[in-house]
Amino acid sequence: MEALTIRAEHITKDYPGTRALDDVNLTFDGGKVHAVVGKNGSGKSTLLKILAGAVIPTEGSLFLNEEKLHLRSTSDAYEQGICSVYQEMSLVPGMTVAENIFLGRLPTKNQIIHWPEVVERSKALLKKMKSDINPQELVSRLSMWQMQVVEITKALSLNAKVIMLDEPTSALAQNEVENLFEAIKALRSQGVIVIYVSHKLQELPKIADTVTVLRDGQLIGTKNMKELSQKDIIEMMFGEVKVKERPSDLKIQNEIVMEVKGLTREGKYTNINFSLNRGEVLGIAGMLGSGRTELLRGIFGAEPFEQGEVIIGKAVFRSTNPVKMVRAGIGLTPEDRKTEGLILIQSIRDNLCYASMHITANGWIENKEMRNAFAEKQVKELDIVISHLDATCNSLSGGNQQKVVVGNWLNTSPKIMLYDEPSRGIDVNAKQQIFDIIWQQARKGVSSIFVSTELEELLEVCHRILIMRKGRIVDEVYPEKIKVSELYEICMGG
Amino acid sequence: MKIATATSKGFDRKRTAIFLLDHIIEICLILLVIGLTLTANRFMTWANWTNILRANALKGVIAFGMTMVIISGLIDLSIGSTVGLSGVIVAVACRDLTARGMNLTVACLLSMAVCLLMAVFIGWLHGVFQEKTRMPAFIVTLTSRYALLGLAGILSGGFPIANQFPEWYNNLGGGRIGGANGIPIAAVILLLCFFAIWFIMEYTTTGRATYAVGGNPESARLSGIDVGKTKIIAFIAVQIMSVISGFMTSGQVMSGTFTFGNGWELDVIAAVVVGGTSFDGGVGKVWGTLIGVIFTGVISNGMTLLNIDVHTQYVVKAMIVFLAVLLSSYRARVKA
Repeated sequence: MEALTIRAEHITKDYPGTRALDDVNLTFDGGKVHAVVGKNGSGKSTLLKILAGAVIPTEGSLFLNEEKLHLRSTSDAYEQGICSVYQEMSLVPGMTVAENIFLGRLPTKNQIIHWPEVVERSKALLKKMKSDINPQELVSRLSMWQMQVVEITKALSLNAKVIMLDEPTSALAQNEVENLFEAIKALRSQGVIVIYVSHKLQELPKIADTVTVLRDGQLIGTKNMKELSQKDIIEMMFGEVKVKERPSDLKIQNEIVMEVKGLTREGKYTNINFSLNRGEVLGIAGMLGSGRTELLRGIFGAEPFEQGEVIIGKAVFRSTNPVKMVRAGIGLTPEDRKTEGLILIQSIRDNLCYASMHITANGWIENKEMRNAFAEKQVKELDIVISHLDATCNSLSGGNQQKVVVGNWLNTSPKIMLYDEPSRGIDVNAKQQIFDIIWQQARKGVSSIFVSTELEELLEVCHRILIMRKGRIVDEVYPEKIKVSELYEICMGG
Repeated sequence: MKIATATSKGFDRKRTAIFLLDHIIEICLILLVIGLTLTANRFMTWANWTNILRANALKGVIAFGMTMVIISGLIDLSIGSTVGLSGVIVAVACRDLTARGMNLTVACLLSMAVCLLMAVFIGWLHGVFQEKTRMPAFIVTLTSRYALLGLAGILSGGFPIANQFPEWYNNLGGGRIGGANGIPIAAVILLLCFFAIWFIMEYTTTGRATYAVGGNPESARLSGIDVGKTKIIAFIAVQIMSVISGFMTSGQVMSGTFTFGNGWELDVIAAVVVGGTSFDGGVGKVWGTLIGVIFTGVISNGMTLLNIDVHTQYVVKAMIVFLAVLLSSYRARVKA
């Protein structure tokens, strides 16, 4: 096989209001694993999507072996031999490994599927990947890493030249990671260009040959893995960040509103203890899968915890559920506003008044004037841009949808607000407005817990930050005393 | 309040379109009535209209409960069996309890109360089962459709139980207030049931919760709405409506027959869908269902008056249901 290269020239991608990628030039060679790293919003996912044909760049071009590519869709990229292996598998669970590998192009003999050949060829392909997966096993019986190997094998059988792996190890146990790495090394030895995206920097020395760092849409550099330490990479990722300051009038009051004691849910979080003061904005930092979201949902009762208790004022909760917690004065804006926070097909008015239903009704009978007043109040106070209160929520922009989710809760006059990734997928302006809302509520004495993947945000918004790793709180830091890169290092662990 | 700056013309056009789509069924009904008045000379008469209402009350009352169930994102296929079973229970009770010396009216009222309790129990069972096992409501209620039909057959011995009811029982389905040309009691019951469900859906927290649960159960749950309870209430509502329909049906012919109501579920669902309720849940109006019931009633009455044969009527019905569903998915897109 001739030596492969894929080259990006002057790639720029503009979205309304932001430039996701700015004049990026890079070259990846075959037979190597190229790690691409960067914090959230660095542009690495945009870059991957451009390579996969899912996003069309505003400017610039791609070359595969000096041949210019015109990728209009993911199937274009597939035809050129550029394949992505995502977390969400595209395998059919109810079919065998062999069927999945040859799906849509099963070899036939006299118009009838030639099963022995399907199995033989699958076996040969899997052997190339140094894998002993049985081709006749059902995919649903495989473990996660085996499915990934099958997916890679499938790509290989289609003569893939570039294989992109997006966070392939995030759901894997340690020994499974090793197995997957063996497969990736086998893939590398076939001369394929492997692009590997991961936030687990510790893994990179074991698997990557080069590291490419992106920050704020810019290419910071591509270096050989051997020349870099973990610290170097983190510095390249974060650079000199100036963290914005929180308004100075946000005072924590000397009154505990909530205590969490020994909260445990098997496999998600273990022995969580902390307390929250009135008017405090408490951040929780942690990598994907560290248990931060699960902890918030446990406190709110969206999913039950197994041990421990949540104490709010004088009330002690040994088990929680949303009905109880809403009445105890807690609100949660969920991670995914579209599927968990809003009822998209219904009106903005209804969406602003669901959580406060027990307040706006006189017992069983609704008070329509009060509902209207509640809805209008939030539209005004949160500055939600709408055409009409009767318009459905799917007509709103992301930022305005998030404000509706928040408004729904503020209508309950909560004592404690839990925000799970409130700034995800909304523009910079709306983000700042959401922070202002959180601070404004803090001034009124509302306490907040703020979970975010974006560490700068946590440093900007919160008084205090708890750091979670593998389901445990491992540290507590104060934004005044820590740099983003240091925070990142603690989150990642050794 | 901040109003997005849209060109006022485009803005108005969209709102007009939404208004027209929201009321398309009323508009169609008015046009249909005008058309039939001009073509069928016996159509626009008091006798004919009271007849339409009386004839459609039996399935109509169930349609209101079914609206609630469909808005909450569920379905109940067992309603037809409940209709038959409740008629059989009352008939058997009237026959057997009077044989043991009980007063006929007391026996009848007592068994009617039992039927209503049974409706609560069946609805509760459906709700609990669906919520706990996460089986589709379609399957849960399909099994009770067969079970309840079988139960009614066993209770009645497989035969109609005729002439056991007290005389007044006939009025529920067949009586009229104010003589032979008066207002049919069935029509009055239809309107009472409409008002009850309409009030629940428009003015109570139960109604609001029902819309929320059907619109997105996860968002509803995370807003502190008791999803299980809401589902149970909807299932109970449709079962109570079916029992009331069972009284009217058995009263009309003065017989408890276990096959009464058999196969009604799809007619009821059709009326609900024609009334603009979305099968995906979360969207719909009880008022729409009332119009849907009248609309389907008027159209088959009209076709009968115009001597259109029964088989053609089915084809027309098919087209109406199809168009109604097409319209409601179009409406959802316009509103987005």
